[in-house]
Amino acid sequence: MSDNEHTYLLEVDRVSQSYGTEKVLRDISFEMDRGDVTVLVGPSGSGKSTMLRCVNRLTEIDSGNIYLDGERITGPDVDVNELRKEVGMVFQDFNLFAHLTARQNIMLGPRRVLGLDKEEAGKRADEHLEMVGLTPQADSYPGELSGGQQQRVGIARALAMEPKLMLFDEPTSALDPELIGEVLEVMRDLADRGMTMLVVTHEMSFAREVASEMLFLDGGKIVERGPPEQLFDRPEEDRTASFLRRITEMHS
Amino acid sequence: MSEPVVDTTHEEGETRLSTGGLGRTLLVAAGVVFWGWLLLRWANDWLGGLFVPVGQPFVAPATIESLGASIPGLAGAFDALAFAVEYLPALSEGLWLTLVLTVLGIFFGFFIAVPLSVARVYGNLSKYVSLLYTELLRGTPLLAQLFVLYFGLNISGYVPGFLDGVFANNAAWAALVGFILNSAAYQSEYIRSALQSVDTGQLTAGRAIGLSKVDAIRYVVLPQGLRFAIPGWTNELIYLIKYSSLAAFITVPELFKRANDIASSNFRYTAMFTITAVLYLALVITASRMMNYVEDRTAIPGLGTGSGR
Repeated sequence: MSDNEHTYLLEVDRVSQSYGTEKVLRDISFEMDRGDVTVLVGPSGSGKSTMLRCVNRLTEIDSGNIYLDGERITGPDVDVNELRKEVGMVFQDFNLFAHLTARQNIMLGPRRVLGLDKEEAGKRADEHLEMVGLTPQADSYPGELSGGQQQRVGIARALAMEPKLMLFDEPTSALDPELIGEVLEVMRDLADRGMTMLVVTHEMSFAREVASEMLFLDGGKIVERGPPEQLFDRPEEDRTASFLRRITEMHS
Repeated sequence: MSEPVVDTTHEEGETRLSTGGLGRTLLVAAGVVFWGWLLLRWANDWLGGLFVPVGQPFVAPATIESLGASIPGLAGAFDALAFAVEYLPALSEGLWLTLVLTVLGIFFGFFIAVPLSVARVYGNLSKYVSLLYTELLRGTPLLAQLFVLYFGLNISGYVPGFLDGVFANNAAWAALVGFILNSAAYQSEYIRSALQSVDTGQLTAGRAIGLSKVDAIRYVVLPQGLRFAIPGWTNELIYLIKYSSLAAFITVPELFKRANDIASSNFRYTAMFTITAVLYLALVITASRMMNYVEDRTAIPGLGTGSGR
């Protein structure tokens, strides 16, 4: 990469990935600056989620390179646990630790990964609970929270590690429509605070409003990329136009 | 952005064995009588005859018989009671050994079972080691395993000095080793299936915040899996209480051996084994009630099978 001039926060360089014989990602390249919100859109099976999981190496790539803050994070010599301290992830189905309260969910990483003591971790958990507006639910178990509340705890859990980059894998897809707003509000707030976010979502209003760049993926390839106004209002590719038209109609 | 917690209404814990309040009261009363008697019995005999001479019943059988003789129609029942009272002190000693062997067997077996089950679910090569162990120990009779340990390997002959004399008969050590190894295999199967029922997203989420695989299993998967395992695991506890009687065949003077020895001298097999059966039943019901309680105490909303579900 070009160390001499500018380091991106995230640089994905000609990444390919396949499950067995099926090619999931073909030669994907893009980059993000600090504070960027990049939204990945595309039909189901286009490789969006896989792309996300390659960044924190829950999925391994076949070829190409990924750099975080100028450092290569792909390759066998990289400590994935160190990498994952820097990259937070929010899941479609929340995946909160079911046996822990909201507060304990947030504390686990700071305590067991960052080595904070109980008091410090608790303080950090309280701050992040407040940030997502769930201070009263601190001692509730995931089973006692609504989907929207669970997802906000999920976001707080990832943020408590103080990552450089946040990955969102369809964070509102498993939510009832009336609960989507509260999660998007937290994400919007996070973007305003300057967090770098890579987001897979079907929430087009969020993309249009918050994204600094949108990538349209289809068949494991980037079909088109650009600022949201370009993709929504004057797309260069027919596939982009028809996909975005369909998805926007569906959600309005 | 604050809204009330969605659902915190916990349903009242169901009692499984008894349905009404009366049944429950009777069960508790029976438990108090049984454990009250047993603890007094042990205290008396260990402290060199606190209330009555060591090994003597609290109430003389003759007194009970004479009491029954004055009530028409109940003489037979009182005779049976007197018979039980006469031999209960001897049986209570065997009961102690049964209890100790079972509890220690389960306890130490558990610490072997957890790594076995983790290896089985998450291991690579260790998966096959665990599988081999489990199949071998589950696939052969416990009695045969005890014979191998006692007669074949002569475990009782190698008891280290500081442990020698803990049990009246060193054969108990062979039995204990057998119970630990055997119950580890069974317990690991219950825990394995519980671990597999923990949603895979839980491990992924643990890894995603930077926990190593071992830490993610330790802090995320096991606390949930062990809760799921409680109902099945209780089965193994109950099983071992009863199957500890196989130790009798390698001369360990536990409950069954005591009863059998007494019966072969007085020839009242039916009566002796009926009393013995009641004693085993008391242990089993106690164990299942206790585990029920543990299950409820460890229950978490939305997780496991406790009443907190």
